[in-house]
Amino acid sequence: MIAIYIVAAIAVFAVVRATVEKNTGRKLPYVNVMNFAVAGAVVLLIGHPLALVAAAAYFVGSTLEANAIASTYAGGERRG
Amino acid sequence: MDEILVLLFAAVALIGALGTYLQRDRFDKLIALGIVYGGIVPFIAARGYLDVLIAVSLIVPITTIIVLPLCRRDTRDA
Amino acid sequence: MTPEFILGCIILIIGVIAAGFPREKTYLSRLINLEIPAFGLLLIMLAYDEMLALLTFIGVTAISTFVLVRAIERREAAE
Repeated sequence: MIAIYIVAAIAVFAVVRATVEKNTGRKLPYVNVMNFAVAGAVVLLIGHPLALVAAAAYFVGSTLEANAIASTYAGGERRG
Repeated sequence: MDEILVLLFAAVALIGALGTYLQRDRFDKLIALGIVYGGIVPFIAARGYLDVLIAVSLIVPITTIIVLPLCRRDTRDA
Repeated sequence: MTPEFILGCIILIIGVIAAGFPREKTYLSRLINLEIPAFGLLLIMLAYDEMLALLTFIGVTAISTFVLVRAIERREAAE
């Protein structure tokens, strides 16, 4: 099973690349790469049917978080 | 989960934790907090607690979204 | 000494230092840094297989963050 090692290495590369990036807007695509890699690693770690639901829940939650940060960073909807 | 995977995902979590401490911009800190969260999720999955993982995956982003309205209080610089 | 326990202790120590001595002494910086030890304590609870404690701790962390955000908003509105 070489796939999970590749996925974990991609996660580490994306995290290093997102940390050394100066521009905040350019950090978010690398964080999305890490989210894809972690969701794939959760499915590859355990072969249980509920793992699919867990990975989907993680994916939905982390994508929602990244989109909320991006929306607020770009100005978002003004309140008050 | 063998030693190589433990080292790789522990590196993800540690880089996120140090990044949250060292960075100064508030959005950068929130992004690094998301990286910490991504680093600990495989450890929860490897122990087999999938229901805990589902609950954590739904609660932690809500915590970030609660903090976000404080971040846009004053205007950021371009 | 499982790897979860060691990693949780390291993250807990980093988070305690970050919450106690933040680089930028604002309320928001301390509030964001306060969530790092929460993740470290989550990993330590995971190492001891305390599943119910883990779920309760995550829920209480979210609620206490909500309360602290309300308190910071009141404080900044009063100034």
